[in-house]
Amino acid sequence: CKKFIAYSPSDAYLITAQQYLTSASDYQSMGISVYTPLQWLNQVVPIGDIASDNAVSGGESASDVLDLQQIDDYTLTPVNGTLANIWQYAYEGVNRANYLTQYKDANPAGQNISFTGKDAMYGEVYFLRAYYYFTLTKMFGDVPLFTDKRLDFASSGKLTRTSQALVYTQIEKDLKSAIAVLPAVPVVTAQPGRITKYAAQGLLGKVYLYEKKYDSAAVVLQSIISSGAFTLVPNFASIFLQSGENGPESLFEVQYTNASPYYQWSNVLQGQGNYAVQQCGIRGLNGTNGMPYAPGWSTNLPTQSLANAYTAGDQRKAVTCLDIEAYKAANPQYNITYQIAPYKNTGLYNQKYLPRLGETSGQPELNYDNNQRIIRYADVLLMAAEALNKSTTPNDALAATYLNQVRRRAFSVSDASKDVTATGSALYTAILNERRLELGMEGERFFDLVRTGQAATVLGPSFKAGKNELFPIPLQEVTVSGLTQNPNY
Amino acid sequence: QTLSVTGKVLNKSTGESLVGATVNVQGTTKSVLTDGNGIFKITVNKGATLVVSYVGLTTTKQIVTNAGPLNFSLTENAANNLNDVVVVGYGTQKITNVSGSIATIKASDIQKINAVRVEDAIQGRASGVTVVQSGSPGSTPTVFIRGIPSYAGSDPLVVIDGVQQSLVDFNSLSPSDIESINILKDAATTSIYGVKGGNGVIVITTKSGKRNQKTQLSINSSYGYQEVARTIGVLNATEYGAIVNEGSTLSGGGVIFPNLAALGVGTNWQDQIFKQAPFQNHSVTATGGSEKTTFFLSASYADQSGIVGGQSKSDYSRGNFTANLNFQLTPKLKFILNTTAVLLNSKGVAENSFNSVIGSALNFDPTVPVYNNVPNTVGTYGFSNLILAEVHNPLTTLDNTYNKNTGAKLYGKFEFQYDIIKNLKLTSRFGYTDYNDNGKSFTPLVFYGINNVDNTMNADGSTVLGKHNSVSSTRNSNFNYRIESFANYAFDIKQKNHFEVVAGINFLRNHGNQIGASKQDVPFNSWTFADLTAATGTNTATNPSANSGYYYEYKSKNVSTFARLNYDFEGRYLASFSARRDGSYSFGLDKQFGNFFSGSAGWVVSKEKFFQSKFINFLKLRGSYGTVGSDANTNPQSTNVVTGGPYSTIGNSNGYNFGNIFYPGTSISSQSNPLLGWENQKQGNIGFDITLLNNKISITADYFQKNVDGLLFTPTQSLYLGTVPAPTANIGSTSTKGLDATVTYNTMIARSVKLNTSVTFTTFKSLVTATNTDNSAQIPGGYYFNGQSQSATLFAKGYSPGIFWGYKTDGLFQTQSDIAKAAKQSGAQPGDIKYVDVNNDGVIDSKDLTQIGNPFPKFTLGWNINLEYKNFDITAFIYASVGNDIFRAYERNANYTNKFRSVLGRWTGPGTTNNAATPRYVFTDANNNSRVSDRYVEDGSFVKIKNLQLGYTMPSKLFKNSSTRIRVYAQAKNLYTFTKYSGYDPEISGGILSTGVDYGAYPQARSFLFGLDVKF
Repeated sequence: CKKFIAYSPSDAYLITAQQYLTSASDYQSMGISVYTPLQWLNQVVPIGDIASDNAVSGGESASDVLDLQQIDDYTLTPVNGTLANIWQYAYEGVNRANYLTQYKDANPAGQNISFTGKDAMYGEVYFLRAYYYFTLTKMFGDVPLFTDKRLDFASSGKLTRTSQALVYTQIEKDLKSAIAVLPAVPVVTAQPGRITKYAAQGLLGKVYLYEKKYDSAAVVLQSIISSGAFTLVPNFASIFLQSGENGPESLFEVQYTNASPYYQWSNVLQGQGNYAVQQCGIRGLNGTNGMPYAPGWSTNLPTQSLANAYTAGDQRKAVTCLDIEAYKAANPQYNITYQIAPYKNTGLYNQKYLPRLGETSGQPELNYDNNQRIIRYADVLLMAAEALNKSTTPNDALAATYLNQVRRRAFSVSDASKDVTATGSALYTAILNERRLELGMEGERFFDLVRTGQAATVLGPSFKAGKNELFPIPLQEVTVSGLTQNPNY
Repeated sequence: QTLSVTGKVLNKSTGESLVGATVNVQGTTKSVLTDGNGIFKITVNKGATLVVSYVGLTTTKQIVTNAGPLNFSLTENAANNLNDVVVVGYGTQKITNVSGSIATIKASDIQKINAVRVEDAIQGRASGVTVVQSGSPGSTPTVFIRGIPSYAGSDPLVVIDGVQQSLVDFNSLSPSDIESINILKDAATTSIYGVKGGNGVIVITTKSGKRNQKTQLSINSSYGYQEVARTIGVLNATEYGAIVNEGSTLSGGGVIFPNLAALGVGTNWQDQIFKQAPFQNHSVTATGGSEKTTFFLSASYADQSGIVGGQSKSDYSRGNFTANLNFQLTPKLKFILNTTAVLLNSKGVAENSFNSVIGSALNFDPTVPVYNNVPNTVGTYGFSNLILAEVHNPLTTLDNTYNKNTGAKLYGKFEFQYDIIKNLKLTSRFGYTDYNDNGKSFTPLVFYGINNVDNTMNADGSTVLGKHNSVSSTRNSNFNYRIESFANYAFDIKQKNHFEVVAGINFLRNHGNQIGASKQDVPFNSWTFADLTAATGTNTATNPSANSGYYYEYKSKNVSTFARLNYDFEGRYLASFSARRDGSYSFGLDKQFGNFFSGSAGWVVSKEKFFQSKFINFLKLRGSYGTVGSDANTNPQSTNVVTGGPYSTIGNSNGYNFGNIFYPGTSISSQSNPLLGWENQKQGNIGFDITLLNNKISITADYFQKNVDGLLFTPTQSLYLGTVPAPTANIGSTSTKGLDATVTYNTMIARSVKLNTSVTFTTFKSLVTATNTDNSAQIPGGYYFNGQSQSATLFAKGYSPGIFWGYKTDGLFQTQSDIAKAAKQSGAQPGDIKYVDVNNDGVIDSKDLTQIGNPFPKFTLGWNINLEYKNFDITAFIYASVGNDIFRAYERNANYTNKFRSVLGRWTGPGTTNNAATPRYVFTDANNNSRVSDRYVEDGSFVKIKNLQLGYTMPSKLFKNSSTRIRVYAQAKNLYTFTKYSGYDPEISGGILSTGVDYGAYPQARSFLFGLDVKF
């Protein structure tokens, strides 16, 4: 009898974990899948603006994209599918990275598999784990921290939240390990989007800023600048075009493609295409004669406040806040028709990620190929400026130089006409304002406001200080996992 | 004076000759048996009384005054006849000796309702069984026996002629082939089926011939048509225009329809999609036998078309061919060969969503004309200029629906029965089911309307860039077999102690595979050429899915041993004990084998000497207790890796692209739980059977309680474990209590008017007593979309399984000061719904979610009435379900979708209405009035006249052959439903977490049939 019911997974042609990680290609294949959850985190970007004064959630009505509406209006509750997704997806990334570090020296069968490039591959893994933890902690504060293994079902509900300081310590450790082994350019140069040393340095600099470790931030960020590996492109708009992907200004981009048929309505965030693009689009947009844009959902709309923040001559304004009526009037040959956003209409659209004709395939809404620009060189310059300004021994002159590089590009000038000459706290304010203008609709604004302590003053009375700096821990993690909730939720 | 009497004994209701009926001269030992043609010959004294009896039929007496022919027609005894034998697991038992709980349905009841599926015959006729039917032709209804033990698999086990099958196999059984249905309900009767018996067992016995029986032929034929019984009130075009204008202007937008008067009544799309659909059922059977062989042969054909779209789009047909043959090979060895071949054909339409055919008919723009009148656009049917996605003209959807499925099933058994010595019989059988089907569907290029985002065809008929039509084909193949061997031994000790023992072993194996392929670019965008051979799609770098395919296979195994001992002392004291040991490959290594035991006892009080009652003819008290299991069709688990890119069903994707080139990746895809075991169910039952007043009334009633622990389900795990799905685990428990009762009454109410009526009553209360170790996990379900993704049902501790879960409403806010006084509810304006602050924390939020309804009835009642007057017979069957709530989930609620008539009573200013179901109408719904709330919950209690039949049997003297019998009848099914529910049909089937959620469910058709039964 025992024999009759004996079962082996190979009966069902399943490969078990025990049988895997026996070759270099096994390791490399698992290494690639550590990248995958990056794509699933695309909602962090719209949230970074919708939660701030840069954007509103729009949509068909007040109950359309409710998750984002609640973030926009600060009526958040722990029941928010988008936030729960971000939490779960980031942790899937952590678990995938952990699985590789767990079996780095000995695979599940106990053998050591060594191969050329293993260390560099692990550099990518360390970076990715740091990135996932950084996403978690900047949104949720104290989060469960584990690096020893991929958790299995037995660990469900067993963990508690670790203080943000310790999470940052781990992130720094991983990034330093990554920097130590990663090459300056991808080993496989034909694979743009692979993590490089600069990406790790850029992220480390950013993490230091969040920790207010300005001296360390200045050192690591300046090392990027002094490497000379990056330049600002003259045409700001070109950064966000297909041709600008992984360009001279790019340290880290999440790669998306429309060339793979991997999209699904039941898991809209987990495709190979960028879901966040469709959210920026204009409802019912139609046009002829080569009008470049495709319609979308209008659920991530720049505010008038953001548009007003730009001064005349700033090429970033039109790129960040496309005024559709003005565009229509300026281009009568396109015969543009569109539906005014039914809810929270601003008349403005995020042109950085506006859906463009021909850049999607298959299920068009879910499959835009636009890479998400995560760390740009302009960001590095502004971060370096901020770090230098706030260092124990500030270097405002150098800080202003970095800031003004960004401004000169923005205004397409090569002279000092648009330069900021302030110092001290005035310079600090100028740098932060420049971050809003340069990185508008790129998901930085809300987190910048929180980390610099300006959120309550800038965001008005509906933003509750002492509460809305952090997002609520997903309800399931409170009820099932027994984690404590963030204050006042 | 002695008289020589000859005659024939017939079954009155079926007209069959009764072979082996006993003809006894009352008060003597003189008796004869009828021969193979039902004929007897006997010599008696004048004035003697002949007593004719036959198992299962009412004994008839007649005083003999003349010589010559004397025929007897015996009627079936609807009450549990004291001589009846019921089929139980691995044997039969005299019904008076049964101490467990069994419900029985006979062939005559099944025949009367013209059932297409077997479940139709069970609904309301077997107490303790809840059947929720669906209107979609051929679809499987929800069936559960004695409550809802689990949130997933609650399907009972099905045993056909001793061979284990599943509920799905009812699709291939012709109800006219069934001799009897016995439903085993308590642990005493089900635990011999061990790990498969936990949800109850439906034991079906098909017909067979009798030895030395003259061949009987029977032809049954019926034909009729079906129609939708009622439609849902939606707005006409003018009303729609007005409400859209109001919604828009209140949101600060413009007037959409400046000229309302021009709109008229527009199109009611429901009138366009519902069609009259034919329904037919035909069968021919032959029954008979010689000294050594008996046979039952049957051929039948059933065809039910769907009322949605009519026969060309929605249809289910089935052809059955059965041969049940028995051979007495040697005096001791019997061979039984049962074989049924079934052909199944079906095609269907999209169902159960807001954009299915029905959903579109309810939600689509009524200002659109039926036919397209826009110049220079393709497409037969009209389109909306306002609704540009999701919801389309339902006629366009129907017109572009192309699919078909052709299945073939062969099932049956080979069985040997060997009488080793007297009363010791060895049975060995091989039962099998071989199923194959081929499915094909075609997704054409469609133009839905100008600027419609779902278009795959442009207005000029050209293809939208990057779009393709496609055809896909699938083939399923499944073979399963069971080998069983068991021995039955009956013996007496000191005459009064009667024992029946059975012991045996059972092996089960199931394997199958599915293969599928799809290809784009079908020539001429036509169903005619929709085939992989004609399609021309080739994969390219940017379109890698133009030509694709897949294949997988699966298998499972079980092994079991079982034994049962039945004991009775003079048929007065009864006891039974059964044991089963089951092994299943699905479970963790430590949990592969499990033991199940049960015991029962009965006391036939009416057999006691002290019991003297003219009023009570028979009284039995019964009690049982035991354990049963359920494996809930769990698959074995292991920790696996998966390599590739695409999603698996769980959305746990792999791979990444560098520079727009996709690189596949690998990650962990599943987890295992080495401690996984089966659900353990403990059930206690007490009951009684009583017959009163000369057997005119019989009552059977049972009270049961069953507790399930180690409930198998996928637990909710910490999100920080990532996206690898949780393994199935034994978590949670449920408790169910209930009462099943059947009352039967037989009488002559006047000369030649015979009444036979029965009522079944079923009630249960199920409660989830735990869901995981900390009781925090909840399983949501009943997902739908009304602009937001919503979940309407929940399986959670402390509640009945599958309850509706949402906000409670408390009228409408009339003024701003009402809002200020109430709990904080963001976005609320006068006219919006006021929600109840259940936890009294001053804020309306997710903590205020609560139970807002229960989709399962408090009780169900089936009432069967048979009246016979001379050659006329009337059958009525009425089914009532009380206390089942319904959640309306078919309302799409987009700005330009159509609205339902209740919106006409909406709030338009302070004091206009306080009904939470009719808040103000506004596009920008800042209060989120469309959230899940009791606004959408309705009482779905109903009383349905399920069957009404009037029959006339031709007088037998019209025919030369006295056994010829012709009956004609007219029948109405689902004639009328009494209910307050505003939708089509309050009977809404689904899984435990979707029953009662009305996604625009396919309503059961009202049908009218004419039929003919011929026997000769």
